[in-house]
Amino acid sequence: MRIMDQGHPAATRRVVVRHHALVRLAHWANVPVLLGLVASGLSIYWASPVHQHPVDPTTDSTDYLADLGFWISHPAPGTSADPGAWFYDHFGLGTFRLAQALRLHWLLAYVFMTIGLLYAIGLASGGGFKALLPRRSDVGGAFAMLRYYLGVAPARLLRRPWPHPPVKSKYNPLQRIAYLAMPLLGVLAVASGWAMHKPVQLKWLERLFVNYEGARIIHFWTMVAFATFVIPHVVLAVADGWDTLRSMVTGWSYRVRARHGRE
Amino acid sequence: MDESERPGERRRMTLAKWLAEPDESSVELPLSKVRTRTRRDFLLWSAGGLFAAGGSWWLLPDETREHHLTPEMRDWIDSLEARLGADRRRRERFLNRVLTLDDDVAEALYSPTRSVRTYSRSLRNNYNGATPTPAYLPGWTLTVSGLASGRVERLGIADMLGRFAHHDQVTRLFCVEGWSAIAWWGGLRFADLLQAYPPLPSARWAKLESSVNLDAASSPDPYYVSIDLPTARHPQTLLATHLSGKMLQVEHGAPLRLLAPMKLGLKNIKAITSIAYSVEAPADYWNERGYSRYDGL
Repeated sequence: MRIMDQGHPAATRRVVVRHHALVRLAHWANVPVLLGLVASGLSIYWASPVHQHPVDPTTDSTDYLADLGFWISHPAPGTSADPGAWFYDHFGLGTFRLAQALRLHWLLAYVFMTIGLLYAIGLASGGGFKALLPRRSDVGGAFAMLRYYLGVAPARLLRRPWPHPPVKSKYNPLQRIAYLAMPLLGVLAVASGWAMHKPVQLKWLERLFVNYEGARIIHFWTMVAFATFVIPHVVLAVADGWDTLRSMVTGWSYRVRARHGRE
Repeated sequence: MDESERPGERRRMTLAKWLAEPDESSVELPLSKVRTRTRRDFLLWSAGGLFAAGGSWWLLPDETREHHLTPEMRDWIDSLEARLGADRRRRERFLNRVLTLDDDVAEALYSPTRSVRTYSRSLRNNYNGATPTPAYLPGWTLTVSGLASGRVERLGIADMLGRFAHHDQVTRLFCVEGWSAIAWWGGLRFADLLQAYPPLPSARWAKLESSVNLDAASSPDPYYVSIDLPTARHPQTLLATHLSGKMLQVEHGAPLRLLAPMKLGLKNIKAITSIAYSVEAPADYWNERGYSRYDGL
């Protein structure tokens, strides 16, 4: 253990290396790429929605996502614009753009797979994967974290102490589960995507999802899962503060903690 | 016994130790170094953000752009990007190259010995499009050109039914839109026609055309697709004459249609009136409308 130079206490800074450069690159590259994949994917989905219901007599819709657009936009009766397109116009690339959406989706899919590869290399060479491996205590720990997050706002309002459960490693158990789930979800999205894209030449992959329809359902729900992850992820990262955000850009954190009685 | 167990145990121990998360180790850096590196990384990050934003805008379809920003802002960004060389023409060329790349992957994956999954029964038929009147049927012939013999053959349907062996198969047809349908098809193998009337030795493609096709408004809209010859020679590529055990109806492409279940549905042309073999890739209806050319599944 080094003793800080007493003569120039401000001239040095103690930092913890947290994220490998490739992991950081992959993280940020995924932001526009996943957005583009979701947007182009929705415009492809529009052509033949996976989940449909019998025709609604008032809206003429068979598609749950189109219904969601109706529900959000509240179209005035008799409007000329297609209110069923609202959802696809705002979250996708629009309707009647199948050829353009497919072309973009293939481009971004190849980029997404490349990013996944860089991420895997970064995790392996930086040893970062070890922080993602599940522990036996994670189930109980995840519930403790969930309880903490749910209670943090009411406790603040009631001015009651609400201590953060102790974290003995890089991530808390809830983070660990979520950050392990994301790359696995990426693998599932790529696998179901290829199963849909090449159901004949990669028929073993199609069989893995039972059939073509199974791959479509899984592919759609991986998108929903990605979108669901992003909201709490951004909220919690911002709430955690500048140091966390910076560590995903520069790789290091100023939060140096004493561990296990050592240091 | 003890002696022999120990090494294995040690190996387990080292694996567990290797997988264990190490304590976060801290390093002490000169403050000036921390500052310069932080500045460098944030500058890189911002440059990446700008590149991503500009690239995304460049890649967006024109009709999608109309929904975002004001016309003045769109103009400003478009002219700035055009000055940097990221104009509309270059985008189209770039994205079409992506399609070609994806087609190349599909072609590399293709194996002539890999069969298309078959099913034990026919489930449903899902076609809903404009149907020509059956008036063309009595005078229908199939014109085959690009042959090694240099001749142009005209074949009648009775002639073909009598001459070539009949094959049945229950396969899934995949639409580019995402839906699919399983159906029971019957007909002759494209490979048998190729053997009976061999194409030019240098030919690599077939252009299949339907001159009787109609568009949604029932106006003539000749339909044509390109099929690579390795696909045409696949034993499950049929020139179908039957659906569900009965002769094809007009809505399914009577009297002869293509059934290439290893291709997207849009390649499965109905009511074929001519087949022309060629060396160069022929025109393809949907390729001219922004879709890929090979369309292999």
